[in-house]
Amino acid sequence: MINRKIPRGLRDLLPAEVAVQRDIEKKAARLFKGYGYEEVITPTFEFLEVVETGAGRNIREELFLFTDREGGILSLRPEMTVAIARLAATHLQDAVFPQRFYYIANVFRHVQPHLAQYREFWQLGIELLGAAGACADAEVISIAVKVLERIGLENFKISLNQIGIFNSLLDESGMSIEQRDLIRSLVENKDLVELARVLDTLAIDDLLKETIAILPILHGGLEVLKRMPYVGKNRNAAEAVGELIKVYDALKVCGVTEHIVVDMGVLRGLDYYTGIVFEGYSPELGYGLLGGGRYDKLLGSFGLPRPATGFALGMDRLAMLLKKPEAGPARYMVGGKDWTQMINKADELRSQGKIVEMDVAGNSREELEEKLHGRENCQLIFVE
Amino acid sequence: MQAEYLTIALSKGTLLKPTIKMFNNVKLPAGGLDEDSRSMVFTYDEPRIKYIMCRPTDVPIYVEQGAADLGIVGKDVILEQARDVFEMVDLKYGYCRFVVAVPAALENIGIKELNYKRVATKFPMVAETYFRSQGLQVEVIKLHGNIELAPLMGLADVIVDIVSTGRTLKENNLVELVKIMDSTTRLICNRVSYRTKYEQIQPLIETMQNYTTGGNGDGNKAV
Repeated sequence: MINRKIPRGLRDLLPAEVAVQRDIEKKAARLFKGYGYEEVITPTFEFLEVVETGAGRNIREELFLFTDREGGILSLRPEMTVAIARLAATHLQDAVFPQRFYYIANVFRHVQPHLAQYREFWQLGIELLGAAGACADAEVISIAVKVLERIGLENFKISLNQIGIFNSLLDESGMSIEQRDLIRSLVENKDLVELARVLDTLAIDDLLKETIAILPILHGGLEVLKRMPYVGKNRNAAEAVGELIKVYDALKVCGVTEHIVVDMGVLRGLDYYTGIVFEGYSPELGYGLLGGGRYDKLLGSFGLPRPATGFALGMDRLAMLLKKPEAGPARYMVGGKDWTQMINKADELRSQGKIVEMDVAGNSREELEEKLHGRENCQLIFVE
Repeated sequence: MQAEYLTIALSKGTLLKPTIKMFNNVKLPAGGLDEDSRSMVFTYDEPRIKYIMCRPTDVPIYVEQGAADLGIVGKDVILEQARDVFEMVDLKYGYCRFVVAVPAALENIGIKELNYKRVATKFPMVAETYFRSQGLQVEVIKLHGNIELAPLMGLADVIVDIVSTGRTLKENNLVELVKIMDSTTRLICNRVSYRTKYEQIQPLIETMQNYTTGGNGDGNKAV
């Protein structure tokens, strides 16, 4: 038996698919560079300890793990932000901040594969390191909007939240870690029924309950921020709301608010987010396209305390939404009886920037015409 | 610009009648909705809504994949399928409960004595999760119907099933040992549709919440 299976959740990309992906990469990279972001590459795998220091222990069940010869546990990278934080802490202790990086990378997660979710998938993204404040968040979010526009997506939405609102409300509730994790997952998954039931069993302030219960459905413009009755009583939550408003205002100046929706249910799965968080959606795809936010403690956990913010975009998902690119430039097929003449002809055309294939099998004109039959955009040149 | 259609996946079978009644109450179109009809898709223009008729167990996957924006389905199915969908409203009808049932002869058995027993069920996920939460390991045998038969024929020692009145259990000489949880009908929603069709979906959720809480007060309230 010939074995030609590939592991579950992986896939091959054929030329047409690669062309779409490279086109996305090219447009995104050009945009990122225009904002002063520079490309970095990190190792495909890191020590498990590094991944967990950054992304928390909850991510472990999604990791591809293996050991090195010395018995160290290694993990294929599940995302890029932690790796770039580690890179910064390794190489940029004396650098002048902010630093702006972008990446294009394959990442690996041991998840249940389904439409638009592979176990190896491609991300591109940016990280703005060493910059606090609303303008930094607005820069990153407006680049997220522009990259989707530039790649040719219409109709998409970016959901915006400040995770400090939710965290401060829970801090004050005196809930246990387990209860907080449960509430967080219920709010994030908009399980309104179970959320109402769990809140009902908790001995916490009624106004606070009412506020937490409404979070998953608070969605719209800035006016939704007025619908959280408890926030006035909680200084940290009120501050977080203030910060969200500032970022929204800064985004107005960037001219991208037509795509922005305030959504108190966006909490992001990863543990490292500390402030503004956001996710991008398109009505044509049942899954999120991009996600990001502020992670002010992450670099510190590697010994370089600096605020930071960024986002990552799933290229595989985006590629599904894009129209097939137009046929590329015209191609030529050079055939003939005399190899020297054929080489000269092909080189001449290539020097004019043309794409030229050569017939390396000595086919006759008729045979070549037959082979090219049905192939669009390819012209036969037969040198006699 | 005209709004896009809102697609709602409906569960065929026992849930359909109360669902149509609920639609009438919340002023959603329901004229001609009938599972005996050959159509599987029902389209209305005012408001712009499409219903699709699905087997109950298929509703969550339609919604998860975005083939439907919303779905109406029992909590029992949602739990078993464990799909990534938002669960927005408890519609309260279609009540049933998950139970562990044993042959009448074992009526007084303690739950801990079920360790390493064989459990027949249509709901392997629910059964597995429940026994594991009790610190018990059992062998789950997935069947597709007539679960009550399994202990009678010696295929399993106990069953996990949904019951509403308990009559079927009694007729087969089985008794309810433990209630695992209650189940009622829920409105579920696709993760992205909720955000991209918010203006259509959110008012619908609020009317349904008001309907289930008896039409008084704020449907968003948790308490």
